[in-house]
Amino acid sequence: MKPLFGTTRGIGALSVMAGLAVVVLLFLFPRFVENTYALHIMILIFISIIMGSSWNLLGGYTGQYSVGHAAYFGMGAYTTMMLMQFRQVPPWLGIWCGMAAALVVALIIGSICFRLRGPYFVLASIAVAEIFRVSALNLKNVTNGAEGILTTEIPPLKIGGTLITDFSSKVPFYYAGLAFVLLVIMITWLLQNSKLGYYFQAIREDQDAAHSLGISLTFYKNAALSLSAVLTSLAGSLYAVYVGFIDPSTVLALDLSVQIVLICIIGGIGTIFGPVIGALVLVPLSEALRSNMIGESLINSGIVKADSAFGSFLTENLSHAHVLIYGVLVVVVILFMPDGVLGFAKALAARKRKEVV
Amino acid sequence: MTIFLQSLISGILIGGVYALIGIGLTIIFGVMRVINFAHGDLLMVGMYGTFYLFTLFNIDPFISIVITMPFMFLYGGFLQKVFINRILGSLPQNQILLTIGMGLIMSNGIMLAFTSDYKILSTDYSSSSFDILGISISTPLLISFAITAGITVVLYWFLLKTDTGQAIRATAQDREAAQLMGINVKRMSIIAFGLGASLAGTAGALISPTYYIFPQVGSTFTLKAFVITVLGGMGSIVGATLGGILIGVAESIGGVYFGSGWKEVVVFVLFLLVLLFKPSGLMGKSNT
Repeated sequence: MKPLFGTTRGIGALSVMAGLAVVVLLFLFPRFVENTYALHIMILIFISIIMGSSWNLLGGYTGQYSVGHAAYFGMGAYTTMMLMQFRQVPPWLGIWCGMAAALVVALIIGSICFRLRGPYFVLASIAVAEIFRVSALNLKNVTNGAEGILTTEIPPLKIGGTLITDFSSKVPFYYAGLAFVLLVIMITWLLQNSKLGYYFQAIREDQDAAHSLGISLTFYKNAALSLSAVLTSLAGSLYAVYVGFIDPSTVLALDLSVQIVLICIIGGIGTIFGPVIGALVLVPLSEALRSNMIGESLINSGIVKADSAFGSFLTENLSHAHVLIYGVLVVVVILFMPDGVLGFAKALAARKRKEVV
Repeated sequence: MTIFLQSLISGILIGGVYALIGIGLTIIFGVMRVINFAHGDLLMVGMYGTFYLFTLFNIDPFISIVITMPFMFLYGGFLQKVFINRILGSLPQNQILLTIGMGLIMSNGIMLAFTSDYKILSTDYSSSSFDILGISISTPLLISFAITAGITVVLYWFLLKTDTGQAIRATAQDREAAQLMGINVKRMSIIAFGLGASLAGTAGALISPTYYIFPQVGSTFTLKAFVITVLGGMGSIVGATLGGILIGVAESIGGVYFGSGWKEVVVFVLFLLVLLFKPSGLMGKSNT
């Protein structure tokens, strides 16, 4: 088995230690940081990592670019939310139902779409996700349609009368998110070094060659999609319960599918920590724009006058700019560092090493 | 029966404009093998151009295509030269993502510049219609169908008869062979993307009197453009024409019989069925 963090044993041991230290720090984080906004950002980062890592299993390791992953995210979000709001099922149980629903959907979609390759698969995945979005919009008596579903109260999970979790603060969401993040990273690592993972990567490199070696393309592509879909639905459930409001235009939108892919593209596709880096770049950036931190700091620092035309433009419009920044990032990354930030860093390091020799 | 005929005819009329969108996408795909995910956003830019030409300078939307067409051609050529050209040889996934990114920049740039409010371009004939044998036909749709038909005819003539048109078709058939024959493949790519953008923008201008105009309108049309081209067979211009009309009719009839909220689902289901049973499309070759 390849070491988790590097190729040489010394560096490997060091990075395992560093990794453990990071995990311990992350576990202690809510004890020291009382600031709810910081917790909020962390939870959003966790959700993004889960989304990105789940997509990475299918897109990064198996090479099947789904641009319709919002379907599974929405499946998790809607199942958990509907069970919770309309049937008072605690989210800890609803999450499992969401995962089951995503699995069923994935098997259906997979058996239809995996007959298609390359751009045709991409298109089919978008079309399927759009069918889900329009259906959720139109099935008003099931999903509330465009109005969406709003949490009024999260039923706590009780076993034998003792309270296991209550969701009155952000802390339980933080730990749930962190646990799921560790879970998907673990799964990715195990997969990367397992026979199953090798089959996935063989399909990514050359599916015809893989097929001629006796690897069943339909079976393994479906396996990758199922795993990816179930974990994506986990992110969807967590998002829905945490934010407390879902509607088709947020949890089933094409923009979301693109954003999921983007997390991986920016960090580096087909690597364990690519999605982590992608989420660490994207979430704070889009939050800073959404909450208009950049505009305000420009005004507060006196660079831009608040009552000038440019100042009012900043305060009014810059909060909408985060999707624009996504677009710019995609274009820049694809044109200048197609292997993502991780790949770019590796290439830089390799060049440095060469210069030294 | 009248309802059926009514929806059939309005489907064909709107289908003409869809065909124009599809032809643009199919030319780009044919020449460069690049799927342009920003196609709907080019259409949206065309819509905004038309809207502001109308409100600021009072130029009628159907006349303003004289300005929109060449402008969008230049814009498309610029995008091809600066962005698309760099990734022609790379993975198809990267090409898809790059064009998605370009689309996001366009739609959100427009949103920053003109806010996300819905705009309506209302001319004095926007809602006018006339009756033939008990079937009412919307005037702006009929005019835009006539213009579309005209543009399509000119386009066919251009691609079949002119030297540049033949060079474009040769590039689409075999890029390397065309290059060996002395065709400037890079220039043909720029012209092809320009043409595609120009057709998308024109379609946007033509539908602007009948549609809401807002920054995110493009993504619907991008998907529609794909359905149309895949239906007709990627790269086939005749296929895109047929596909456009077919989708227009399917949407219109589906809207009547399943409710207007479900008409998009009808289109996507149709699309998946075609992908599954005849992935090469209606007019495509079997090996694509």
